[in-house]
Amino acid sequence: MGETRGGKRWNFGANEVVELSCSQNVRYFLNLLADNLDRSDSRPVIPLGHGDPSPFPSYRTDPSAVEAVCDALRSAQFNHYSTTSGLPIARKAVAEYLSRGLTYQICPNDVHLTAGCHHAIDVLMSTLAVPGANILLPRPSYPMYDSRAAFSQLEIRRYDLLPENGWEVDLDAVEALADEKTAAILVINPCNPCGNVFSRQHLQKIAETASKLGVLVIADEVYKDITFGETPFVSMAEFADIVPVMLLGSISKRWCVPGWRFGWMATLDPHNIMKDSGLVHSLANVLNMSTDPTTFIQGAIPDILEKTKEEFFSSVLETLRECSESCYEEIKKIPCITCPYKPEASMFTMVKLELSVLEDIKDDLEFCCKLAKEESLIILPGRSVGLKNWLRITFAVEPELLKDGLSRLNKFAQRHSKKKQQP
Amino acid sequence: MATNGNDNCNANDSVWQFRGNGATSDAAAVTLRKLVFGMFKNCNFNNGKTILPSTTHSFKTCPEAEEAVAAAVRSGMANSYAPSPGIFNARRAVADYLNGELPTKLRPEDVYITGGCNQAIEIVLDSLAGNPAGNILLPNPGYPHYDARAIYSGVEVRKYDLLPERDFEIDLDALEAAADKNTVALVLINPNNPCGNVYTYDHLKKVAEMAKKLGIVVISDEVYDKVVYGDRPFVPMGTFASIAPVITLGSISKGWVVPGWRIGWMAMNDSNRILKNTGVVESIEDCLDLTPQPSFLLQEALPEILEKTPKEYFAKKNKAMKRNVELSFERLRDIPCLFCPKKPESCSYLWLRLDTSVLANIENDLDFCTKLVTEESLVLVPGVALGAKNWVRISIGTEESELAETFDRLKSFYSRHAISKETIKSHVDTVNQIVVAVV
Repeated sequence: MGETRGGKRWNFGANEVVELSCSQNVRYFLNLLADNLDRSDSRPVIPLGHGDPSPFPSYRTDPSAVEAVCDALRSAQFNHYSTTSGLPIARKAVAEYLSRGLTYQICPNDVHLTAGCHHAIDVLMSTLAVPGANILLPRPSYPMYDSRAAFSQLEIRRYDLLPENGWEVDLDAVEALADEKTAAILVINPCNPCGNVFSRQHLQKIAETASKLGVLVIADEVYKDITFGETPFVSMAEFADIVPVMLLGSISKRWCVPGWRFGWMATLDPHNIMKDSGLVHSLANVLNMSTDPTTFIQGAIPDILEKTKEEFFSSVLETLRECSESCYEEIKKIPCITCPYKPEASMFTMVKLELSVLEDIKDDLEFCCKLAKEESLIILPGRSVGLKNWLRITFAVEPELLKDGLSRLNKFAQRHSKKKQQP
Repeated sequence: MATNGNDNCNANDSVWQFRGNGATSDAAAVTLRKLVFGMFKNCNFNNGKTILPSTTHSFKTCPEAEEAVAAAVRSGMANSYAPSPGIFNARRAVADYLNGELPTKLRPEDVYITGGCNQAIEIVLDSLAGNPAGNILLPNPGYPHYDARAIYSGVEVRKYDLLPERDFEIDLDALEAAADKNTVALVLINPNNPCGNVYTYDHLKKVAEMAKKLGIVVISDEVYDKVVYGDRPFVPMGTFASIAPVITLGSISKGWVVPGWRIGWMAMNDSNRILKNTGVVESIEDCLDLTPQPSFLLQEALPEILEKTPKEYFAKKNKAMKRNVELSFERLRDIPCLFCPKKPESCSYLWLRLDTSVLANIENDLDFCTKLVTEESLVLVPGVALGAKNWVRISIGTEESELAETFDRLKSFYSRHAISKETIKSHVDTVNQIVVAVV
């Protein structure tokens, strides 16, 4: 509790659980790196640490989506409070959208609309947080899950994604980590931060393992359809018959509008397992008490999902493909960095630091801080996503800017490489 | 925290290990949303009546607000993630909006943007929930989202009464008696939902002095700051920040009739830096990092909404609301089971005492409202949902035609359920005898 000068006692103070959950997430590191920037450097800062390309012209959202929102706004039909899981027309539109390519139709009642995927994570962690429960998260991960799980006092157990196996899930580790209190396993596919797409066979194995362990699968598919490589995307929704699936997604990535705050969670539960366990009821309760997506965005969703033209999507994907290739090729030229797997999806790639060839840099954090200072280039240290001495590089920027950034990275690497000893 | 559901859930030959978080049941059970939408389900859709209140005839927002949002969407500059505390321009605009007559001005960094006032409540309660045995003082009647979020965050709820005989002022003695060394805050709703009163300067000052004495924060929910139509002016609690720290909560939802847009704020009126020094500000900022952000679109539009909406918009709307109050009072004369002790001077409700003694087979407010929903497709909020048994809250922020329809249905319901004339007559005779006896 806080006391101030003058001896007056005040009964309130900070919340330690909040502080502990918050430390060391992505924003923390981005702020730290920003603090290291040299203000006297006249060059523009190149941001390869974020997950949001929307400010860049090549990633401008589709005008028909903008018009759909303006129409919904102008109609004045959507200014009222939303119902708990979202407006029926929006739930129906999302259900149909998610059912494309599946052998079954997802029921609108199983779709719950949220203010972005972050909100879905928030709601889900609150729902699963039974005393003593634990949850299996990947390493490397998307740290919002870690922070949020910690805040809800869910015990976190980490399984590795294996770089030597195309970043596949270490299923043996998953089995070893789980016990009777494990509630769920998180699978992010396409993968942030690794940039890979899981094969159909691998997804099936994950589903079967989860079923055997009695845990549900949280399938974070926020980067669904952001694939530009060889591996086709397969949704975990296809395996809902094997294991109950909590499917998370949003329009943020595909339409480049994270600021619009519209996402969803779908409970794929053909055998009513989540329902019978009481989970769906708790989920509804949490949704009742928490915020909603903006109603006029909900009103625009049927048009946004159905009317956006294919050309818009393919144009963005083309930019991402070009950037991912350019990133992969440039990294090959940098001796202290290796990329174990060419990115084929999402906006990121994980690369390993060879510290042994570097002079005066002891870890990923020091690398990134010095990089920010000397080259006005922001790259995320791998420890922020759970892998120390790796780096997460975002390639979702303008192609020219990316080339410029990678060239600065190269110069930095050369400057800090150990000089060859003269014989 | 309890668990929901079966302990051994078998399907597909697996033992399924996940459960729902039982704590959510207790909390959600008290949410207004659950209750009201539950009541909507009881509506008889076959009786040909549209369900009231409807959204089609409620007051409208102003074109300036719509334009501001449309411009933000079209600009393409508001599609990104926003920083957790909110974008600078939004924070600055809210600080300017709130600063008005405040003796100590808010800086933009004292303001945080949230997804509606409801999310502000969530964050403030989560931030203050650090102390294991902490409790919070909430008004009775009140706004159940505070109860729900307090329960969910593990903060004990203690109630203090609003006194109908004193224009719903706070019972300061009861407040003091309910507090102890673990009390962290009191919540004040001004202008008041559901009672419709506006607190005086003097009364608010006393509340601040009590908060100082008790060593607690004042959380001042001012979401209805623009919906004031009586003679008493609205006084922001931030006026008294030099006495005790005040966290002001607000949004555009009520003033601009856009609750679906989901944009609100928290402002730290902290002239003595108490919230800063005790670590509350840091907890709030950390909570904001963890929780979903409000839409960038709305944040981008917020300065224009707050700065460009003409005063006439509010004047016109408030005049209509005042007229609705007068019309309601006229109609209430024919509905003796409902009595309003104080004409509202703010917000968009009538807060009415229910007299079940003149009704046959109606036990209490919940019974009244449930039967009303079934028979007349009219949804009123039973006072028990807000902490006060045998009161009823009617929404009156609608066009006159819908208001008239609301009272037609109420009158019809009353006629059907009124105790017969013979019974009333003998009741009156008995009363007269008592009066004569006393005299």
